[in-house]
Amino acid sequence: MEDLLSVNNLDFFYGDNHALKDVTLPIKKNKITSLIGPSGCGKTTLLRCFNRMHDLYPNNRYQGEIMMDGQNILGDQVDVINLRNSMGMVFQKPTPFPMSIFDNVAYGLRLKSIRNTSTLKEKVEKALRQAAVWEEVKDRLNENAQGLSGGQQQRLVIARTLAVEPKVILFDESTSALDPISSKKIEELMVELKEDVTIIAVTHNMQQAARISDFTALMYIGSLVEYDDTATIFTKPKHKMTEEYVTGRFG
Amino acid sequence: MDNLKRRKIINYVAMTLASLCAAVGLALLFIILYNVLVEGIGSLRLRLFTQDPAPPNLPNVGGLRCAFLGQGLLTLVASIIGVPLGVLGGTYLAEYGRHLKICRLISTLSDMAVSIPSIVIGTFAYAILVKPMGVFNGWAGAVALAIIILPIIVRTTEEMMTMVPWALREAAFALGAPYHKVITSIVWRSAMSGIFTGILLAIARVAGETAPLLFTSFNSNHFQLNLNQAVPSLTVSIYQYAASPYENWVGMAWAAAFVITILVLFLNIMGRVIIKLKKRD
Ligand SMILES: Nc1ncnc2c1ncn2[C@@H]1O[C@H](COP(=O)(O)OP(=O)(O)O)[C@@H](O)[C@H]1O
Ligand SMILES: [Mg+2]
Repeated sequence: MEDLLSVNNLDFFYGDNHALKDVTLPIKKNKITSLIGPSGCGKTTLLRCFNRMHDLYPNNRYQGEIMMDGQNILGDQVDVINLRNSMGMVFQKPTPFPMSIFDNVAYGLRLKSIRNTSTLKEKVEKALRQAAVWEEVKDRLNENAQGLSGGQQQRLVIARTLAVEPKVILFDESTSALDPISSKKIEELMVELKEDVTIIAVTHNMQQAARISDFTALMYIGSLVEYDDTATIFTKPKHKMTEEYVTGRFG
Repeated sequence: MDNLKRRKIINYVAMTLASLCAAVGLALLFIILYNVLVEGIGSLRLRLFTQDPAPPNLPNVGGLRCAFLGQGLLTLVASIIGVPLGVLGGTYLAEYGRHLKICRLISTLSDMAVSIPSIVIGTFAYAILVKPMGVFNGWAGAVALAIIILPIIVRTTEEMMTMVPWALREAAFALGAPYHKVITSIVWRSAMSGIFTGILLAIARVAGETAPLLFTSFNSNHFQLNLNQAVPSLTVSIYQYAASPYENWVGMAWAAAFVITILVLFLNIMGRVIIKLKKRD
């Protein structure tokens, strides 16, 4: 099984706050890796290292490496815009842009200077189908995206991410703000998407991690406690803390 | 118990005083509006808009056509200078400079600049643009008005953009958008109606100003829109006509005051309506 990414001895600092400590783990290609752990343990912080979202704010510092295709994506010479094109991100709350459904999905494509109308139409439709939201929006592509329901918005955001054909999609508790049915749809979608992309998903929901992920990493106060295939983590973990956490006895 | 009673009394007194002040303010405002309305409509003639000023001793001729156009031109040029500067400045404060201490200082100073008396700004424009040229000129008037609207537009732009959630910007960054694209295609778009309203209210604020024009573009009785010379101004004309001994001119001042009051009122109401509509959705 091929590693698409490997995180090696990664440390991360918000100014003086040492938020990630010596994290090392592989990310397997075309699999779902779940990041679990108590609130504030650094899941979001780790996730945002992959697309270098931390670069947006002053005083943030990485140490260590995340290797992809033989290159450290945390390096100074890396083109962050290219990197973000290959690392899609879906946030907790849906983030539709204040524009039409079509323009939302076309946003990333237009950034890449794709202007041809028929190419755009084709790619937008493909992405919306992939995100399982095409049937619901195909007759209202010119309507404002902020009028969609929360679940539809979240699938629209996934479509927007898929449109630029990323290698990886990062999900940060992307179902936690949704109702159970919408949440279920996104889960099923994530499993389907494995064929095309590699998924890293932060989740608070143990059942969800157990249901959808192939690999699971447990974090605690900035450190990686245990990483293994999901079945092992949930049935015979090596660490006592992992067992307590996945069975809900922790904390 | 005593304490509670005392607080209740203080509260009652304070409320009564505040209500009284509000009532006096409102009453004065309505008296002014009522006067402008009655006197203005009574003296309103079509020639106010179609004819240029004539000597006061000729009844039934003369108007303020050139003053309307001059005032409009000054406001337009002021907007052309002030709006882009204000929007870009506000954008800098809300985005690129949001972590800088100096930008917080500029925000505070802009808030203060909003309440600088406009005559002071007029004097400043006089010193830098009239004195060196040796003549009253339209540019000086337009610049004075632009200086007045600048801090208002800077601050509303900054506030409206700050209200756009960061998650939305991050979502665009996550798609590989460079910062200027995030600003133009996401943040401006989200904040557009708020910024537009701010611009409208700022223009409404200067459309009826007299003081900043008195020493700058001054006034002219001729149809002349060359900004290198004194430019006819409606508000300065009102000021001069109203203070004149001629009944004919005083009437015209009322009528012009009525028209400009309605215009400014309309701009203000439009701004409020946009804010209301925006809040509802
Ligand atoms: N922008 C920030 N600046 C400083 N500290 C932060 C910031 N964001 C998060 N942290 C801190 O980093 C730690 C990890 O946070 P986070 O990655 O958000 O946790 P999780 O996603 O697992 O709940 C927490 O202690 C949090 O307080
Ligand atoms: Mg988090």
